[in-house]
Amino acid sequence: MFRNVFWKTLYDQRRGLAGWSAAILILVGLESALWPSMREMTDLQEIYSKLPEELGKLFDLQSMTTGPGFLNAELFTLLLPALFLVYGIGHGAKSVAGEEEDGTLDLLLVMPITGARIVVQKALALFTCLFTLGLALFVATTSMSLVFDVGISAGQAASGSLAMTLLGAEYGALALAVGAIFGRRSTAIGVASAAATAAYVLYAAGLMVDAVEPWRPLSPFDQALTGGPLGAGLPAAYLWLVGGAAALVLIAMPALDGRDIAAHN
Amino acid sequence: MDAAIRTEGLSKNYRSHRALRELNLEVPRGVVFGYLGPNGAGKTTTIRILAGLISPTSGTATVLGNDVVDRCEDVQRHLGYLPGEFVGYPDLTGAQYLRYLAHLRGGVDWSEVERLAKRFELDLGKRFKTLSHGNKQKLGIVQAFMHRPELLILDEPTSGLDPIMQREFLALLRETRADGRTVFLSSHILSDVEAVADTVAILRSGELVITQSVDALREQALRRLELTFSGPPPVDQLKRAAGVQEINWDGSGTVQVEVAGSTAELLRIAAPHQIINVISHDADLEAIFLDYYTARS
Ligand SMILES: Nc1ncnc2c1ncn2[C@@H]1O[C@H](COP(=O)(O)OP(=O)(O)O)[C@@H](O)[C@H]1O
Ligand SMILES: [Mg+2]
Repeated sequence: MFRNVFWKTLYDQRRGLAGWSAAILILVGLESALWPSMREMTDLQEIYSKLPEELGKLFDLQSMTTGPGFLNAELFTLLLPALFLVYGIGHGAKSVAGEEEDGTLDLLLVMPITGARIVVQKALALFTCLFTLGLALFVATTSMSLVFDVGISAGQAASGSLAMTLLGAEYGALALAVGAIFGRRSTAIGVASAAATAAYVLYAAGLMVDAVEPWRPLSPFDQALTGGPLGAGLPAAYLWLVGGAAALVLIAMPALDGRDIAAHN
Repeated sequence: MDAAIRTEGLSKNYRSHRALRELNLEVPRGVVFGYLGPNGAGKTTTIRILAGLISPTSGTATVLGNDVVDRCEDVQRHLGYLPGEFVGYPDLTGAQYLRYLAHLRGGVDWSEVERLAKRFELDLGKRFKTLSHGNKQKLGIVQAFMHRPELLILDEPTSGLDPIMQREFLALLRETRADGRTVFLSSHILSDVEAVADTVAILRSGELVITQSVDALREQALRRLELTFSGPPPVDQLKRAAGVQEINWDGSGTVQVEVAGSTAELLRIAAPHQIINVISHDADLEAIFLDYYTARS
């Protein structure tokens, strides 16, 4: 487990990952358990039609009469993205800036390996952890769907889980990059959270305000959530998320070798 | 062969604050070199430049013949480094931490790790966060020495060590020197390095005040002697002896003499006068050191 920075980081995350996976399982389980009673409510359609139209668009309420539609509205368009962002940004900010503030980065950088290599391995570990959480989400969604007869196929669950992973990866990579460049965890968390909030506002405004609509695809939230995310298939928009995360890692790579590392005190 | 460390016009500014000014330093190989100065003098700044953690504002530094900026990895391969504030990972045991660093170095002879841990009575099975300050510092020392590096750069290494471990540490430094390897260590307390250093450099406000061998420094030091005679002391003759700075005589059989450098002539003059006791106090290097710290610049 201590072979390199990548494995060491995974080792550090082992308990956190187990906890987050358990939380996801419980959350998806509770929500899925609600589905059978929701389905029984015959006048559901009527209730939704009374809600403001904008709210309906934001949470895709029209399709809430199906199992995938229900979970999309209840979990995959806000709560789960938020969870993956919190994990991704927290982990990303800790990756480099956290080690610098703790004072442990000094000795890593004094080893005969480049700062760029440390950044890349930290980023790969971040992505692996998010992928693990995505996998936990996939397992939770498919198994709970079987238990409570929600009717979500493996393919639908896969696209939803992938979307969450990619969204977390993009903002996790942003936090990692900002942390690598500025060396402060708080800056990394602040910038990444602000960027995610702005992107969500753009996404939501695009859904509700016609003038903003053309800009909506620029938002990573739109890229991740459009057409699903449960059951979105494999939209090309996911490539923007992959590309964005990769670009942020590229930007972060030279950061450590190019600036002064703060002394611990 | 190249010097272990050579800096030319090395300067570092933190914004407008000039932490290091035109430092020209040369540390030959195979010595223990003490880098002294009060807090804030710029010792840590120098060391972090040499270790490749920060870059100089101007000037150059080479370590073992490699430029610290351009050939950072070549420098680091042969470097053992102990930061001023050593911290490990709270949840990792000493053994896990050292294995990690050993892997990052591309392999380390593990028997050396065990030998060092045993020597410093360090339990490698304990988590870092449970270690006392002194034991943390020992772990820092082990990681700096475990790959038997060509050059050791140690920032205030003796902080937190108890006297017995401090002695063990000084012995380790001497053995390292006997191997032909080089040790560069900083301190703000002269007595910490006096016992082991061949040469010391004194830094003040980012400027090098003096570089001198410890022996030469001792030569300059004032030594206090108490001479007791069976009869009246030959005060006038003693006053004329080489190096005598001051004599205090209270009319008894004992005189107190302050001598700079050698005491040979003083003792030769005193000898025929029925001298019955000589008490010599240690050369007061600390006084010289403080002198350099404060007055001169
Ligand atoms: N990152 C920094 N930013 C601003 N000033 C600094 C920084 N690091 C050190 N200094 C200042 O530079 C001077 C030298 O500091 P340092 O090299 O740590 O001294 P020493 O190790 O000899 O105690 C001090 O005045 C210190 O306050
Ligand atoms: Mg210091």
